[in-house]
Formats: sequence, C-alpha cells, structure tokens
Amino acid sequence: MLWLTWRQFRVQAAAVAALVAAFGVLLLITGLRLASLYHASRLAACHHACDQAAGNFLNQLASTAPYQRVYLLGAALVYLLPAVIGLFWGAPLLARELDSGSFRLAWNQTVTRQRWLAVKLGVLGLASMAAAAVLSLILGWWASPIDHAASSGSAAGFENHFFPVVFGARGVVPIGYAAFAFTAGVLAGLLIRRTVAAMAVTLAVVAAVQIAFPLAVRPHLIPPVRHTTVVTAAAIREIHGNGPGDVLTGVGVGNSGVPAGAWIISNQATTASGSTTLGAMPSACGPSMRDFSPCATAIAAKHLTVTAVYQPPNRYWPFQLIETAIYLAVAAVATWACFWLLRRKLS
Amino acid sequence: MMWLTWRQARIQTLVTAGLVAAFAILLLATGPHLVTLYRDSSFATCHRGCDQDASNFLNQLASSSPYHLIYLLGALLLVLLPVVIGLFWGAPLIAREVESGSYRLAWNQTVTRERWLTVKLGVLGLTSMALAGLLSLALGWWASPIDHAAAVGGSGGFQERFFPTIFGARGVVPIGYAAFAFALGVLIGLLIKRTIPAMAVTLAVTAVVLIAMPLAIRPHLISPVRTSVPLTTADIQGLTTSANGTDLQVLAGTPALPGSWVLSNQVTTTSGSTNLGAVPAACQPSTNAGPKACFSALAAKHLKQSVTYQPASRYWSFQWLEFGIFLTVAILLAWGCFWSIRRRLS
Repeated sequence: MLWLTWRQFRVQAAAVAALVAAFGVLLLITGLRLASLYHASRLAACHHACDQAAGNFLNQLASTAPYQRVYLLGAALVYLLPAVIGLFWGAPLLARELDSGSFRLAWNQTVTRQRWLAVKLGVLGLASMAAAAVLSLILGWWASPIDHAASSGSAAGFENHFFPVVFGARGVVPIGYAAFAFTAGVLAGLLIRRTVAAMAVTLAVVAAVQIAFPLAVRPHLIPPVRHTTVVTAAAIREIHGNGPGDVLTGVGVGNSGVPAGAWIISNQATTASGSTTLGAMPSACGPSMRDFSPCATAIAAKHLTVTAVYQPPNRYWPFQLIETAIYLAVAAVATWACFWLLRRKLS
Repeated sequence: MMWLTWRQARIQTLVTAGLVAAFAILLLATGPHLVTLYRDSSFATCHRGCDQDASNFLNQLASSSPYHLIYLLGALLLVLLPVVIGLFWGAPLIAREVESGSYRLAWNQTVTRERWLTVKLGVLGLTSMALAGLLSLALGWWASPIDHAAAVGGSGGFQERFFPTIFGARGVVPIGYAAFAFALGVLIGLLIKRTIPAMAVTLAVTAVVLIAMPLAIRPHLISPVRTSVPLTTADIQGLTTSANGTDLQVLAGTPALPGSWVLSNQVTTTSGSTNLGAVPAACQPSTNAGPKACFSALAAKHLKQSVTYQPASRYWSFQWLEFGIFLTVAILLAWGCFWSIRRRLS
C-alpha cells in the first residue's frame, strides 16, 4: 500500500524535492558569503545603540548584487510552496481517481477506502509539512543576519521578522500553511470530483486565505498594545500636510514608545478629543518656513497625541505558534471532512 | 464549432472574467476618491520643484487605508492572470482531449484537427489577451495619480512605472504575457499529453520567464545610458566601512532623473575602480571631526558617481518592445502547436 502510494506520487514528490533542493543550494552558496559580510560589518561587533550600524549593513546588502533578490525570491517561494502542494499534490489525490473511475475498482478490494485515504493523507501530508519545514529552516538560517539587523529598524526594503510579509516566510507557520493547503486540495477534489476544477478552487481558496489572514485575522490574535505619546516640540520628526486647504494630516514623533522589532499596526495622531481631524496647518509651518522650531512649537500647542497600536516583539513566537495551531486545526477539520464524505457521499 | 468551443471553455472563461470584473469594481469604487485626494493635494497644482509635494501625497496615500493594498494587489493580479490563463485555459485545452481519448473521435470528422486548433487558439487566445488588456487598462486608470506622483520620486512604497515590479502591470505588456502563457500552455499540453504534468510544467516555465525577464533580459533591450559625474560634497549621503576601517564605500544620492529606471548607482575612482582606498582620517570615528570635514575629505579624493539608467523617454519603447517579443514568442509557440498536432499525434 505504501509502495503504491509512492508509485502514484513519486513524480510530484521528486519535482517539489528538486525545487527545494535547488533553492537550498543557492541559499547555501550565498548564505556563507552573507555570513562573512555580517561578521566583517560593524553590526556584528556592536552591542548597544546599533541602529546606525544595522542600517548601514542593510544598505550595503541592498547595493551588493544577489542578496535582495534572494531575500525576495525566498519569501515568494515559501508562500508559493503550499499553493503548489495544494494544487498538484492535494487536489488530484482523490479527484483523479474519481475523474477516471478507477475508484470503483480500487476502493472495493480488501483494503478499505478509509485505509487508502489514511495512508495517502498521512504520507503526503507529512511529506508536504516536511518540505515546508526544510525550506523555512534553510531560509531562516540564510536570513538570520538580515533579520537580526532589521529587528532594530527596517531599511532598504528589508523588514523585521514580525512584519506581515516576512512573518509568513519564517519559523513554523509555513508548516501549518502546507498542511492546510494539502488537505484543502484533497477536500476540494473529493467535493468537486473533477481534477482541473478542483485545482482551480484550491488555488483560489489558498490565495484568498493567505491574503486575508495577515490583513484581517492575525492583528487580533492577541489584543494589540496601545501606547499614547503627547506630541512635544522636541519629539516631532515629520509633518504631513494637505496642500491647498492647508490642513494638517499627520504628525510623526521620534520616540513613540514602540520597542524595536515590534509589529506596528497603526500609528495615528489625534486631537485631545480623539478626533483624527487635526485642523489647520499652523502658519509657522507654511512653505516659506525658514526654521523648524517655531513650526514644531505651534504644532505642539495643539496638544496632539500619537497613538501607536502594535504587537510587542516578545509576542513573535506566541504568534507563530498560535497561527500554526489554527492552520493545523483547520487541516484536521478538513481531514475529518474527507473521511466523513468518503463514507457517506460516494457509492 | 464556435458553440462547442464556448461550451468547453465557458467555466474557465466565466471564472476568470468574474475575477477581473470583481477587481475592476473594486478599482471603480475606490478610484474616484483617489482622484479627489489627488485634486486636493498640493501636488496637483504644483508645476516645478514638486518632489516634496509628490512624496507628501504618496505618504498620505500609504497611511490612508485601502490604496497601498489595492496598488500591491493590482500588481500581483496582473502577474497572476497570465499564470492562471496558461494553467487553466492553455494546458488542459489539448491535453484533456488526448488524455481522455476523445481526440480520436473529434479530430477525424469533417472538421479537421487544424481547424479545431485554429478556432480554439484564436477564440481563447484573443479572449485572454482582451482580459489582460482590460485589467491593465483599469489598473492604469486607477493608478494614474500614483504613477504621476511616483514619476517624480518613489515614496511610501509606491514606485515609478518603469520600476520592474510595476512595469509588467501597466500598459501593453500584460497582453503579451497573457498571449505567451496561453500558447505555452497549449503547446506543453500537446507535447506532454497529460493534463496535470502539463499544468505543472506550464506553471514552472511561466514563472521562470516572468522572473528572468525583468532581471536578465529587460535591462539590455536597449543599451542603457551611462553617465559619470564628479562627486561633490552635496551628493554624498554617507559612507560605510568594514570593522577594521578598510573597504570604504561611499553612498551617493540618487541623481535627479525623474521617471527613469536606475540600474546601478556606483561611486568609483577616476580610473573607474570600485576600490576607493583607505578611509580619510577626517572620517575615522576617533577623529570626531564631524560630517562636513569628512565629506570634504571624501570629495578631495576626486571620486566619480557612475549611474547606469534607462531614461524615462524610453518607457513606451520598452513597453512595445517587450510586448512585441512576447507576442512573437506566442506566435512561434502557436506555430509549434500546429506543427506537432500534425506530426506527433496519430
């Protein structure tokens, strides 16, 4: 039974393994150079107030040929892998047998259909989780100098590892994504019973979940921390205005009390009454402004506050584990649904 | 014949068209408000020296909720559309008939297999190009205030339209991508004769081509312009060195080339070497001479700033050139389909 499962699955398995291996080799070659660049940089020897050293290191990487591309390619691959697994491992698993009619013979032998499903789901599901884990592990090792530098402040297109796009490409969440995509594919195949249509539905579902989750669900997994700073003249770093109406639309402060490496969900200036309409731009801040301090004083006189809503950096691993658990739970429900449907719906 | 082509393709067509329509509605719903924001911004009335107004406008958009998200989603969708078309329209077109054996009956009637292929390739190929064109047109209209502001200087995560990730989501190139991906899918389906492997191969080839094009091929379509100007203190933005004080690198500000695609921006010595020599004493942290003395000492080294770029005026040349390349490849692939349907299938 294991032998047949392997025979039916070996081409897809080899293709995905080759993809992971090829990217692994690329990461290994460039990763060693990246590590030596890191050891030669000032950041490696720096112990406190390293913002500048970290920014310099990231800017240097951004201008040295392959690193930024490999960084982006790695993130793209980690997101693509679950979709590919759902599409090419999950959806055809049962749909192809239902499509071609071979299930009538295969499922009425001494080996019951539930046992077939259990073996196939087990072997392929574990294989897909292992593939995602290996890819995430190698990429995490490769990017560890970058993630370390970016944790004290993003620069040159490198973001800290809590930032939504990077978060899903590190740690254990890719394993959850792979398990979810695979079982969603199998379930879609069982429900739709036509291979190509099941693949299309799987692609749509996986893409929608991957886009919606970081936007709508992840920020609320643990209620975020709010930190309010009173805007003083000395703290003002940026002012945003809206031209002809001379309306003040935003104020940025230097130290908003948000720890380095946090995931900032919003950073909004409000008036004392809590309104986001900040009123007119002070005349001291007009285009003919010569000196910044009268403008800063005039804005400070408005008694504004800046409210930062963020997830502190020490919640990174709780978030990783919670998100993985959610995806694994959904995968378990989908698996259960597969067994239930197999018994009830198919003659 | 047209009727059967439609019957066989209607689900894929309707689903893709539905996706395009849903996104177009989202664009239509948010676009007018974006235009209002643009009209109200100081950038709309600005005529020269607008850098600051442009970046203010972009930063304002980046912080007001849906615009940056839709901007990224649009770029993603326009890259995804050709892939989806190649995968779900192209690859199964012939592979499914060959796999199920229905081709033996269908292709030996009065309608020849070449005519079937002509009609299917023509109808579905033109439809896929039309969908990509519509999506690109809608997104181009929606993003025109952003592209206009970003041409002065990218800010807040918005890039100028010549930038690699945005270039492929504007103008006519998405139409070329769609034609290419569709024809590629059909040919691979014909060659492999099995639906799922054909889809996998189509996905891999399309992804590789769409990644390799901006990285390896597009920069060289027209040979880039190189300029080399002496580096002055005003251009220097900073320097980096390795921990032991050697290996000097000087960071220079991006030159004022609005709307152009800067390929590289390097500081070299007068002889063109990137090895800039030792760090001047005024720049050593121990000297504590302040940035001004350090920057003057760097300028005294008579360094040059070498910039390689594609000027903004070449944008449409690049668009048409890339469109032409993809369309030509698509036509060659279609010819390959006709050739192999005659030779390879009994």
